[in-house]
Amino acid sequence: MPPRLSLASQRLVVVTGKGGVGKTTVAAALAHAAASAGRRVLAVEVGRGRLGPLLGVERLGGDPTRIDRGLAAATIEPETVLGDFLLSVLRFRLLTRRLLESTSFQVLAAAAPGLPELLVLHRLLGWIEARRLGRPVHDLVIVDAPASGHSLPLLTAPGALRALARLGPVSDLLGRLERLLADPEQTLVCPVTTPEELAVRETIELYTEIASHALPVAPPIVNALPPRRFAIDDAAMLARLESACGAHPYLVAARLQIERRSQAETQLRALKRALGVTPVRLPFVFAEPETPDALAELSAELANATGFAA
Amino acid sequence: MSASPLADALEAKRVILCVGSGGVGKTTTAAALAVEAARRGRRTAVLTVDPAPRLKDALGLGTLDGKPRRVPLGGVGARGAHLDAFLLDVKRTFDELVLALASTQDQARRVLENRLYQNLSSTLAGTAEYMAVERVYRLAEEGGYDLLVVDTPPARHAVDFLDAPRRLANLLDSRAFAILKDPTSILPAAGSRVAHFLLASVLRGLERFTGIGLVREVSEFMGVIESLTAALRTRVGAVGDLLRGPGTMPLLVTAPEPRLVYETEVLVKGLAGIGLTVGGIVVNRALPRALFGSTAGDPGLPDGASGALATRLRRAYTDLRLLAARQEATLAPLVAAAGAPVVAEVPLLPMDPGSLSDLALVARYLFPDPTGETSPASELGC
Repeated sequence: MPPRLSLASQRLVVVTGKGGVGKTTVAAALAHAAASAGRRVLAVEVGRGRLGPLLGVERLGGDPTRIDRGLAAATIEPETVLGDFLLSVLRFRLLTRRLLESTSFQVLAAAAPGLPELLVLHRLLGWIEARRLGRPVHDLVIVDAPASGHSLPLLTAPGALRALARLGPVSDLLGRLERLLADPEQTLVCPVTTPEELAVRETIELYTEIASHALPVAPPIVNALPPRRFAIDDAAMLARLESACGAHPYLVAARLQIERRSQAETQLRALKRALGVTPVRLPFVFAEPETPDALAELSAELANATGFAA
Repeated sequence: MSASPLADALEAKRVILCVGSGGVGKTTTAAALAVEAARRGRRTAVLTVDPAPRLKDALGLGTLDGKPRRVPLGGVGARGAHLDAFLLDVKRTFDELVLALASTQDQARRVLENRLYQNLSSTLAGTAEYMAVERVYRLAEEGGYDLLVVDTPPARHAVDFLDAPRRLANLLDSRAFAILKDPTSILPAAGSRVAHFLLASVLRGLERFTGIGLVREVSEFMGVIESLTAALRTRVGAVGDLLRGPGTMPLLVTAPEPRLVYETEVLVKGLAGIGLTVGGIVVNRALPRALFGSTAGDPGLPDGASGALATRLRRAYTDLRLLAARQEATLAPLVAAAGAPVVAEVPLLPMDPGSLSDLALVARYLFPDPTGETSPASELGC
């Protein structure tokens, strides 16, 4: 069976999804899977979140920190990137600081459509294009994108800005970014969801959005799928036990798991029907999900799905 | 009969603000609280941000026209109870204000088409969030309701949402206006040719990126807003007073998941920064501790279970013991992060609540019968 979420030549993977679906965990597990398969991986988060602690680093910096063989991580804080940009224009630290501290300038800069996103992409592009001794420093850059609803500001910014800036160095940069993001050989967008009604609905809307921008997209990763613990023919026996024993903890546990699984399957079907692809599934982790063991379990699942395990 | 703090709040408060991270059941909790308040005889309105489709239908909010819906509660044993549901559409409200306040149609159109306005009104300045909060205020003052239950956007945006009045006031601050009129005034050598030159080059850079005449569009936008300043400023003060006043209870809705500890810390700090203190915590998705907690004994297999089914039952039970242990370990830091007591626990339900009777069930967990007789989790057999 060919891998569902094929990662071959890609240089940039953008893990996206709504808040609380386990996006960061998936990004971390994917980074481990790729690094174990011999890729030199840079895992990146935008803003300050839990990617660092998940990968075993208290606090990520703006420059890549080496974590393990083949694995490095960094954070991009849009404010800092703006500072860098300003510094490169103004060349005076004091002036840059004054400007950054001014409310009005913040209003101006943050209101400029797509500018923060563009600055983030610019930093990513720098890492993707970095070379040492004739080969890329990072084979694969995995981004834990900011939580999205049904829109993708980070990925659609260049296209939106393109219409505005037609000439000059900015236009060249936009062109490079657009080509990178649209090229299935180089980029893959990985939406993550949980098998829950609201999350699935937003994921379906997200695919519509992705399609309208012609971005290369993977099948959805359905995270935290409750396991199937019982067979269909257990039902009759369970019902008998329930009528004899009432709310025995074992039976409560069984009923809860059966119901949660059945709800999840309904949502999986809805997702599959709407998108016409089979999702990648990651199991619900009952024990602490942010431990090395749990991460290793998810990482192994993703290694199978991506073909890294082969 | 000693009522719970949550029951007291339902009785005495005018506004209950449900805050918390995404995906923890905030909207459901808000709706269940509102159903219960209405059932207890208070004229209630629930204002929700983004309900799941089934819940939206249950509340009669299937159409997005911004009009309130009377929720029929006869089916859940509360005939005559008054509950209205509103959808808080953050973007729309500000557009409506511009339309109402602009002196001519043309002026309104210019602002609504202003790209800067489009960005500002949905993101940075928080003006749109302000309008949603302002709607809460109007309903509290003039809606004729005893209680408003307000659902807010997910954690990170909740502070923006609630802080919108202050931020708008800041934006209207005269110094900011001065700067927008002469941006070089922020530079050390204000007024000098060097300052003008430097600023002009930065702005040119920004304008090249964005292709819009930032300065012109800002002035245009500010011009319109400025004409509304005095009225807005008064209103902003009153809205702040309502949110921070004794009649409002910020209620943290959360779940015992590790990721939420950090998010809760950030949220509570943000809320404190705008003068709001969480009054209580509702914990959703908690496994019943009486059945699976660390102090509950393993009752062993139920009589009559054998073979493969016995193995599966044991596995299913062990799973939940593990989950319960993880939840217990998370709860203490979560409560510490929130700095408020747990006022109710709603267990992990087989399916996400989506109907009015589901909401009534959630309400039974939020307000357990003090006698314990009808507490949904108290039946234990074998």
